[in-house]
Amino acid sequence: MTIADPVRPDPDALLAQVKRQGRGRLKVYLGMGPGVGKTYEMLSAGRRRLAEGIDVAVGVVETHGRSETEALLEGLEILPRATIVYRDRPLTEFDLDAALGRRPKVLLLDEFAHSNAPGSRHPKRWQDAEELLAAGIDVWTTLNVQHLESLVDVVWKITGVRVRETVPDKVLSEADEIELVDLTPEELIERMAAGKVYLPETARLARERFFKPENLTALRELALRRAAQTVDDQLVGAMRRQGIEGPWAAGERILVLIAGDATAPSLVRAGRRLADLMMDAPWTVAHIERSDLPASDGRQPRRIQEAFRIAAQLGGSTVVLTGSDLPATVLDFARRNNVTQIVMGKSRDSLMRVLLGRSLGHEVLRRAGGAAVHFVSAGAPEPDPGPPPPARLPRKWIGDASALALIALASGIAAVLDKYAQGANLGMIFLAGVLAAGLLFGLRSALVAATAAIASYNYFFLEPRFSFVIGHAADVLTFIIFIAVAVAAGYLTGRVRDQARASAQHTSAVTALLAASRRLSGAATQAAGATTLAEQASAAAGGRAVVLLPQGETLALAAAAPEPVELTTAEMTAARWAWEKGEAAGSGTGTLPQMSWTFRPLVGVNGPAGVAGIEMAPRAGVEEERLVGAMLDQGAVALERAELAAANIENEALRRSDRLRAALLNSISHDLRTPLSTVLGAASTLIDYGKTLKPAVRGDLLASIREEAERLSRYVGDLLDMTRLEGGALNPRREWVDVRDVLAAAIRRIERRLGAREVKRDFPGELPDVEADPGLLEQAVVNILENAIAYAPDGLPIEIAVYEDRANVVISIEDEGPGIPRAEIERIFERFRRLDEPTDRAKGERKGAGLGLSIARGFIEAMGGRIAAASPIHGQRGTRMLISLPKAAA
Amino acid sequence: MSAHPPRVLVIDDEAQMHRFLAPALEAAGYAPERADTAIAGLAAIARRAPDAVVLDLGLPDLDGKETLVRARAFYEGPILILSARDAEIEKIEALDAGADDYVEKPFNIGEFLARLRVAMRHHLNRKGAPAVINAGDLSIDLLRRLVTRGGAAVKLSPREYDLLARLAEGGGRVLTHRQLLTAVWGPANAEDVQYLRVFIGRLRQKLEDDPAVPTRLATESGVGYRFMAD
Repeated sequence: MTIADPVRPDPDALLAQVKRQGRGRLKVYLGMGPGVGKTYEMLSAGRRRLAEGIDVAVGVVETHGRSETEALLEGLEILPRATIVYRDRPLTEFDLDAALGRRPKVLLLDEFAHSNAPGSRHPKRWQDAEELLAAGIDVWTTLNVQHLESLVDVVWKITGVRVRETVPDKVLSEADEIELVDLTPEELIERMAAGKVYLPETARLARERFFKPENLTALRELALRRAAQTVDDQLVGAMRRQGIEGPWAAGERILVLIAGDATAPSLVRAGRRLADLMMDAPWTVAHIERSDLPASDGRQPRRIQEAFRIAAQLGGSTVVLTGSDLPATVLDFARRNNVTQIVMGKSRDSLMRVLLGRSLGHEVLRRAGGAAVHFVSAGAPEPDPGPPPPARLPRKWIGDASALALIALASGIAAVLDKYAQGANLGMIFLAGVLAAGLLFGLRSALVAATAAIASYNYFFLEPRFSFVIGHAADVLTFIIFIAVAVAAGYLTGRVRDQARASAQHTSAVTALLAASRRLSGAATQAAGATTLAEQASAAAGGRAVVLLPQGETLALAAAAPEPVELTTAEMTAARWAWEKGEAAGSGTGTLPQMSWTFRPLVGVNGPAGVAGIEMAPRAGVEEERLVGAMLDQGAVALERAELAAANIENEALRRSDRLRAALLNSISHDLRTPLSTVLGAASTLIDYGKTLKPAVRGDLLASIREEAERLSRYVGDLLDMTRLEGGALNPRREWVDVRDVLAAAIRRIERRLGAREVKRDFPGELPDVEADPGLLEQAVVNILENAIAYAPDGLPIEIAVYEDRANVVISIEDEGPGIPRAEIERIFERFRRLDEPTDRAKGERKGAGLGLSIARGFIEAMGGRIAAASPIHGQRGTRMLISLPKAAA
Repeated sequence: MSAHPPRVLVIDDEAQMHRFLAPALEAAGYAPERADTAIAGLAAIARRAPDAVVLDLGLPDLDGKETLVRARAFYEGPILILSARDAEIEKIEALDAGADDYVEKPFNIGEFLARLRVAMRHHLNRKGAPAVINAGDLSIDLLRRLVTRGGAAVKLSPREYDLLARLAEGGGRVLTHRQLLTAVWGPANAEDVQYLRVFIGRLRQKLEDDPAVPTRLATESGVGYRFMAD
């Protein structure tokens, strides 16, 4: 910071504070071991709060039968526990949902590091606490310092006890308050001797090892230091928020390199401790893969995943680096990310590599530049997490055996040739065997085959035969060359084959991704996208896959591959969790890990689009996981795009209906207001000047009022009809109807508006009935007639004819108006479509609102009939409307 | 009725409008003339200028504003607009283009005739504009730039005076926001309607009996202001 720069609060610190708002506060009673009185202290404080009128409830408290502690529970509300049946044994466990439902202000939750019974939502109690805090509930809890993840190795070194139940350091450092419950080791030992310290049966054996004064002193120091550090952190945090300057250890970045061996977890913890020392420097755990070699050890991916999981819990980020030159890859990453500290395991490289100076550690150290390099000796090797996957050992064995078989075959052929074709170059036969082994089974087999070939060639075919002694001097030279060629050829073919396989694996992954991408981008709808994604993910994972999409408030199964997949309640819970929290849930995660499925949120550009559930094949490695992950990312984007497309279509429909509404509004404002103006104007004229007007003028004004009121009424009727059609509220009656009666009624209705127009009727004497709604049919005919009146000049006739064809009764209405332009003829039945000519309007012959024909069509079609227009019909003029209705079944 | 009643030309495409406007105008002492299209109306004005024009904005052959602009090119008399209530923009444009006033459809004949009278009087006044405009106890002397209320001088800032004078000269016509802003603040401020609100507010404080219920400076919402003279 320059002097001119005003001291500003650190935005990150402020952001962190904002994030915490609305969260509950976490208070941890930290102790050096069991028996120091953490629970006692917590309960006492809880009672004090209760007395102050604060809503305090007890989630879980283990009194271990100690009467003084039990006495403290009196008067405190204890939430009921849930019973979980695991392997037919009922286990009582803290009931998270009950606590969330009860929502006390403060919840007391003993034993922070406790592992929940299998089948609980979270495997660990601290995760329950996280959810409670997120829900805004204050949580008070107790913790022994040896349960801290980063101290596992240290505690093991001090006490020889490996702690299984651990809590990530991140959780403790995010605690709002830590209260150290302290006791001197001597007092604790006294208390224990007095039987005041409860130890579970299993731990009793460790007691001698654990409760030694020197151990307790060391643990006490750890607890004190950890508490002090948290106080320090909080102070630093406060200072940063308030913009107080200080010597922030800025710029330190730590890179932890892990291999796929058992030391990885210790290295990760070492990284975290280093990060702690450096004021919470950001730290990254990296695993490096040779791009030209497939992962050889089947246990590697699992170990790396485990190490990555620990890193994530401890607050580190993780990355997989790929490259053929390992030191260069590491250092390149380090430089690009401004890494200042590199942590790696003490090299276990082969002697040869060390001698050749090719050890990774050596290289990194030599080329590290400004970064400090820390070598950490392996901690206690940890037992492998989970059952080892089916080893690939049999394959190796097959490769070896095949190599030997190939050489045996080569020996046989050589023997035959040797017998029948003297002087043939037998070495070539063996070389062929070595090459075949290398091509088919890789480097290892090639070398095995080469060794076997050398032995066989020497033993069976070089004089003296059936001994490894070489008789001729010339043969010695030949043999040495043969060995060199066999080994070189075997090595090269083996390498080539291994590289080909590795690149084939990569290629197939990339190809699968490309294919998935292509198919996903082709998916037009969300449903299609979901189906494609499920299929592709299933193929990539080697197991089943589902896609769930939000449907209103809930999440619903949208696609599954292979069909069908039924999700259990627990699996749906995990899926919803993934959706709501935006974090993965299920197998391999911290939430509901007992199931075989892993549910991951599909996060697109604009946020979560859905959830994908994957059942990874048991042998799936890092490569497959990465492939699935990449595929899900693409799927999320594709789903999002499909959703946007759907929204677009909806928008388009809305825009269209908006335009329609605008047209309707326009029509209403003009077509309602104009007759209203006449009515109001004529009426007010009559009122104001009635006495001075001539009787004829008065009569005309009154007539205009009636005409315009009728026009209004018709228009309102049209609008109502339209509304009925639009709203789907139209239920035509079905009656046997004589069309001629309906036509006569319609003509009567419009008679007064006909003026000098003559209506010519051409009705047959005999006519079958049609099945129709007489009211709707009459209205449709009236609308057509009104249209004819509006367009055809006064004095010209309107012709109405009725005839029957094979299946229909047809009504034909012709006028001799100007006709309809060809381009318009298809559109005259659309709403608000009218053919206006100014001269017509000036004569006061206003057309309707453009609804009449549209309504006529709606009515006729609702009765199962059809309506069509033809124009011109008489040379350049005239319009013919045809209504056809099916004859009633006789 | 005088021997030469003022001729009023009604330009409207609705036959029904003519049907009642004609007898009403006649009864009120005017000589109505009829045109059904804008073109026919313009031709009628050109042939023999009427004493007033009533123009419907919703003519089919020519946009209302366009008709107005063309008419104003050779006609100076009062023009009264007939317009639908929701065509606010059209009204404003028409007033800006030189219309004197507007009547919203549907209307009472009484209101229509009153507006017509005001518009015609304004044009009569303009020929020999009075130096003093009176409205109740308020008097505005345009020559001496003096405003008195009940005989006592009212203190106005130059801008306030200019605004009041423009409104008073309108003689009961609606003046649009744009017209007022352009006249008082200049064309650069033609869109700054908030100036007007502030200054009209101040004028009302000084001139109205109850500034909350203005009777002299009337708001035509969305369009402009009008000075209600005697």
